[in-house]
Amino acid sequence: MFLLPKGNPLFENLAVTKLKLPEVLSKLGGGGFTGYASFVFQASTVILVFEAGKLVSALHEEKSGTVRKAFEALSSLAELMVVSGSGAMNVYKLSKDLTLCIHALLEGETLYKAQELKLIDINALLKKVKEDQMNGCLRIYTDDHSAMIFYKDGNPLGFFHDGSSDIETSSSESQKIAGLPGAKIDLFSTRSVEEIMGIDLLEVTNIQKIWDTTVALHQSEIDRSTKERQERDKKQELLKLAELEEQVKAIVGEYVGKVGRGIVDKELSDNGGNACLIDEAGSVKFMNGVDRAAKLLISGTNIKAMMEKLTTAITTAKSEF
Amino acid sequence: MEKFLELLAQMNPFDLVQVIFWGLAGAISFYFSIGNARVWTSISIGFFLIFLSQAYGINPWGHYQKLTAFHYIVGTVAIMMITHGFLEYYVFCRTFEISGNKLVVYLSTLGILALSGAFLIINPTPSPNTIRNIRMVENAIWVFLCVMNIELVRKIYQAIKDSDISKGFIAFGFVFFFILLWRASELYLQIYQWDQDWQDIIVLMTDEESDIANYMSRVQFSQEVKRYAGLLSGISVGGTFTYIYRLLK
Repeated sequence: MFLLPKGNPLFENLAVTKLKLPEVLSKLGGGGFTGYASFVFQASTVILVFEAGKLVSALHEEKSGTVRKAFEALSSLAELMVVSGSGAMNVYKLSKDLTLCIHALLEGETLYKAQELKLIDINALLKKVKEDQMNGCLRIYTDDHSAMIFYKDGNPLGFFHDGSSDIETSSSESQKIAGLPGAKIDLFSTRSVEEIMGIDLLEVTNIQKIWDTTVALHQSEIDRSTKERQERDKKQELLKLAELEEQVKAIVGEYVGKVGRGIVDKELSDNGGNACLIDEAGSVKFMNGVDRAAKLLISGTNIKAMMEKLTTAITTAKSEF
Repeated sequence: MEKFLELLAQMNPFDLVQVIFWGLAGAISFYFSIGNARVWTSISIGFFLIFLSQAYGINPWGHYQKLTAFHYIVGTVAIMMITHGFLEYYVFCRTFEISGNKLVVYLSTLGILALSGAFLIINPTPSPNTIRNIRMVENAIWVFLCVMNIELVRKIYQAIKDSDISKGFIAFGFVFFFILLWRASELYLQIYQWDQDWQDIIVLMTDEESDIANYMSRVQFSQEVKRYAGLLSGISVGGTFTYIYRLLK
């Protein structure tokens, strides 16, 4: 996923689940912030670039490689913040020039992606950048570190490393990362500053509405899944109750004979259905009713044995509900 | 006490044995009614009342005609109670409904007997002919309700035949069969005026002649059926309640 160098940190690892997007954007926009905010989730990353409080660029990239920009990226961010149970927000301050470079980079195109550094001829690549007089960015990175080299008209413009808030002239950090095992490079072409539309996404997007809609959708999804779970639980409970009813009928039938099933049906009906079997007071009433009826049909010894079996079956079933 | 012993000495030994058996059956059924479910109360109280109705022979005040008539009325109440009980049992087998309580049954029975007594008190002393009529009505009701009870017992058995108590209802079937023979043979003699009561009435009170001599063999046969079936009824009732008591223990 897209990993920018860290810049000058204002906030790091803020729990996204506790944040509200409209409030975050309002604070960053209102404070005239210049730099970028990254939202790192389990399967995707969102980068918002601010220039003097204007949200000039938004990019959402999934692990699968799918990229969304601008309005779509903001919608995705709102959804991720509401739906995902984890995620961290980092805010890094950058210089205006560096911010413009990052902006241009996000608006540009990917020419080479995730190339193993040791497998490519880096000199030939740099020669090609120079010969083609490219405006672009070469990103060198590992899983934890990242450095960028910006080019204008094929000539290096400067470097951007972790901890720097402006374009730097020293290449040592880039060389260090390039020397790390597993280092990779991306090559992007960037658009010239003139080509980049200077639209403030905060002005053209109703963030509050996006957020509210996302929250409402999420809530309705939660409600729907809760309802489904409740219905599933209810169905499961009904099945268990039906099984218990059948078990009770079998026990009473074993001792009383075929009229036993009728006695159980009648007592269940008198006590509000088979749910009474798992109810404290209901099961006592049910047992008393069966006992009273059984006294007309079977011996005291058999009644005792039957009631013990019924008590065991009902108690076991109660513990499962 | 002397008069009671005198009465016992005067009684036909066979009738005495019959009364003793009914006494035992009555005691067993009354005891059964105390310790068992409400539905049994009507049945067992009814069988207990049979003993009271049959005990006129050993009642020292049995010569009072109103008291004699009361014995027969008690007999009628007895079979009605029994039938009511079996009807309730049958309803239970079909609907599994059990309602009411024992006290109400005891008090209702006492109430009916008290009303019957009041009926006899406020009316003129019954003549021997009236007492015979009451006895004949009693027998007619017994015969009709015995047939009905045999059918009820059959249906109850069909419904509960795989329960512990079902064989007890077969025993009740025999009980009602014996009672039917006992009461039907007596009713037969009464209808054709071959009964002892009528013979006494025409000798003492009318000039009428009986044709009993022409049918002596069937009269004797009916009298034997009445005696033995009556005895077997008492024995079978006592035995049946003892059997059911054991089944339900």
